[in-house]
Amino acid sequence: MEYLAIVFSPAALLTIFIGTFAGVAIGGMPGLTATMAVGLLVPFTYTMDPTMGLMLLGGIYAGAMYGGSIPAILLNTPGTPAAVATAIEGYPMSRAGRAPLALKTSVTASFVGGTFSVLILLLFAPFLARQALAFGPAETFLLALMGLAGIISIADENSSLIKALIAGVLGMIIALVGTDDMSGSLRYTMGMVDLIDGIDFMPALIGLFSMIQMLELAGQRGHEIDTSALHKAQKREKLPKGIGRFMGLGAGTGTLIGILPGEGATIAAFISYNVAKRISKTRELFGKGNPEGIAAAEAGNNGCVGGSLVPTITLGIPGNSVAAALMGAFIIQGMIPGPDLFTEYADRTYPFILSLFVANGVFLAIGLFFAPYLARIALVPPAIMVPVVAAFAVLGSYALNNSVFDIYLMIAFALGGLVLKKLGYSLEALILGLILGPIAEGGFAQGMVIGRGSPWIFFESNIAKVMWLIILALLIPPLYSYWKHVHRAGKAAG
Amino acid sequence: MFKASVFAGVALALGLSAAPALAGDYPNQAITIIVPSKAGGSTDRTARLFTDLAEKNYEGFEFVIQNIPGSGGQKGFEAIARAEADGYTIGLNFTPQLVAHIVSGRAQYTLDSFHVMGNVAQDPGIVVVPADSPIKTMADLAAASGLTVAVNGIGSDDFLAAKQFEEAAGVTFNLLPTKGSTEQKAAILGGHVDAAFMNLSQMIKQHKAGDARIIAMLTDARDEHLPDMPTALEQGYDVQMRATRGFVAPAGIPDEIQSQLDSMLAEIMASDAFKANAAKGNIFLLPMSGPDYLAYLTDLQAQTQAVYDQAPW
Amino acid sequence: MQKKWADRALLVVFILLAALLYRSAADYPGIAQTTSAKYVRFLAVFIGVLCLAQLGFGLMREHGREVLVLSESPRRFFGLLVGLVLFAIAFEPLGFYLSAALFIPAIGWMLGYRRPLVLALTTAGVLGFVYVVFVQLLSVRLPGIEIF
Repeated sequence: MEYLAIVFSPAALLTIFIGTFAGVAIGGMPGLTATMAVGLLVPFTYTMDPTMGLMLLGGIYAGAMYGGSIPAILLNTPGTPAAVATAIEGYPMSRAGRAPLALKTSVTASFVGGTFSVLILLLFAPFLARQALAFGPAETFLLALMGLAGIISIADENSSLIKALIAGVLGMIIALVGTDDMSGSLRYTMGMVDLIDGIDFMPALIGLFSMIQMLELAGQRGHEIDTSALHKAQKREKLPKGIGRFMGLGAGTGTLIGILPGEGATIAAFISYNVAKRISKTRELFGKGNPEGIAAAEAGNNGCVGGSLVPTITLGIPGNSVAAALMGAFIIQGMIPGPDLFTEYADRTYPFILSLFVANGVFLAIGLFFAPYLARIALVPPAIMVPVVAAFAVLGSYALNNSVFDIYLMIAFALGGLVLKKLGYSLEALILGLILGPIAEGGFAQGMVIGRGSPWIFFESNIAKVMWLIILALLIPPLYSYWKHVHRAGKAAG
Repeated sequence: MFKASVFAGVALALGLSAAPALAGDYPNQAITIIVPSKAGGSTDRTARLFTDLAEKNYEGFEFVIQNIPGSGGQKGFEAIARAEADGYTIGLNFTPQLVAHIVSGRAQYTLDSFHVMGNVAQDPGIVVVPADSPIKTMADLAAASGLTVAVNGIGSDDFLAAKQFEEAAGVTFNLLPTKGSTEQKAAILGGHVDAAFMNLSQMIKQHKAGDARIIAMLTDARDEHLPDMPTALEQGYDVQMRATRGFVAPAGIPDEIQSQLDSMLAEIMASDAFKANAAKGNIFLLPMSGPDYLAYLTDLQAQTQAVYDQAPW
Repeated sequence: MQKKWADRALLVVFILLAALLYRSAADYPGIAQTTSAKYVRFLAVFIGVLCLAQLGFGLMREHGREVLVLSESPRRFFGLLVGLVLFAIAFEPLGFYLSAALFIPAIGWMLGYRRPLVLALTTAGVLGFVYVVFVQLLSVRLPGIEIF
């Protein structure tokens, strides 16, 4: 109870509000990430009251995860990789003048996923963290495979499955560049120091989505976007019935995957999206603007916020890079993750967890309040939009590693990606391969070492067996329907 | 603002150095500290520990921290080595990465590229096993065969220590290189590996909570933070490894300026406020003067070279 | 160039790359042979087979004469591209603020926007926002701002 009083003091509420608002803005900018913002603000919180400092960072984390969906929906420029799946459904909705509904769905789903995961964090953190420890490198490899199965769901029956797979594997191959973690030797770096750490996925994400979108806008003849739909469809659409199911699905998946090691948010969003597509009654609308897809993906990636903090604060094993940066803030205040956090420092830890509920409420309010205004961003004339977004794309690519090299990398991804896109290759598959490739490789290589060269380790544990079943369940139905489709097309042509 | 940035841009474009280094009016602008790792990490925190007190206690001194993360610190080390030796750029280094890059032939700098100002912090090496492991001492570790042992990447301090132990005990590990200490921690707590070579700060809480067991310190004497823990040396294996984090400057800074900076570092490190802040931030101090630290680095480079010649990476 | 030919050329390039990738895995040292090299070989074989399959299907089925058009308006498209590269080149010597102050209005003008006041206000807004967020809030160092 006294913890609630701390959270609801005016100073704390203001801190949470500022953090969340800043988080939404940061997540919404191409190139600014929650990892970067939290990392940079950790030293700043050193001089703050510890509890306030943690609340500020927690607000940024929660807000940024939601914020990534706004530009994904409005401009097809996902601010975080976890919002790529959201863009697949959200942008077509925007084009059809249904941006307000898409935004409302995304903020509601984010709220549901976020709140659910924080509740789990509050109630079951120590227990769940213990269970997650059973999850070793071999299981991490399988988790990456589950995420990669999303490539199949991106390629629906009408676009080429083979091309989507080629794009995905191409992404995984691009991710090979850099240091080989097993031997410490450099591969395919061509002697460039900038490539020793490999190719960062943020410049790729900015190039493949934000920049390509701007290049296409700039290159349009006549510049007249059909905005009539936007004007007339500003009427308030209610959330579709039955969408709660998809939010629940995403919230559960996201929380679970968030607890596990690896960049969970992207995997969670794609797995939720993939499963949603399988169980949806309106599957044919996926890829053309189905709010169910947004609901599943957004609840999924926000579910990771609470989930990733479970092992972070109980064991000191951060679930992803934002949680890792956040852990730095705990340590700087002398709060070393572990049981102490719930006893000696309980008066800081519990208010921090409770503040995450408030943060979710704050971005829900922000999102619902601003949705109609945000939707108008799509009305900004391209001649203004293009240079502004391009400038942010350049700045964002640079600021990630203070590296001009990353700007060139971003431009190269934009140009190469545009050619691939025009030839029918899926860029979503490419970025998925690029992000999950290193996780898959790390899990595979470490699994092979632990298994002393025997691939049996990938089938040994019970968790692994269940994961294989899920992977097969995700792969077989779409492959079967694809085969049927090709078969029919073949007959028709013959 | 616009005008100002135009001015700055033009000045830079013309290659004008805004302030020639004159010892008399030093410092007349902010001093940049290059931190070769991410903001919020332990090296970054060490740097901020210093700047906090330096700005408070030394009038006219202002510091700007520039994080250049990546490639195991190499990018940052090279930026320090390349910086103009006017006393307005110094930086942090950490070992053994600083010398490991030289040994592996990847670095474009040598130890001579730096003036070594002194060491600040350390993190002792440890050997840690899962809580329920039958391995209780270093002798057990040497007796068991074919153990899977996690180290934080090839060429890291953990890796070098594991190699030293293999040599000393005549065993061969099934070495598992991980990406970062987080993966090591998860592997130990989850019992996926038999042992790991790590650093004390990463595991001290888990050891005290009984979630994992440290079986040896890899230091020359027992450590004050865990005084009951015997060293590997006591247990009969000469394996010593610690990570250190200190200050370096590009070589060639005018003497008066350099000595001013060196003595400032020494004074701050000796102050009680610094020690209190370090303890609060979980940073283990190991003050070393410039010459001592240079000797340490030279020594470490020779040791690392020996390991590299045996098994290059 | 026709789309189908561009696609075929790309697939051939990918197949060649796959072959090179497969061969390169033989050079992996020590422990990487039994771990990373296997992964790399798998990727190389997988993409090689996929590309061959796609090439085969394409040769059988694609008879379209659609031409690959990167952009309907090459002048604007390449204008933006050149602008970006110049921005990147100027980024460090001129600093972010000056290069962005030139880039934004120049691109806006090139894209046919003719209201200088709006362009100027937008540019100022972006620079101000960046200054507040990056420099004041996050204290990120951007090149060319020592004067602040």
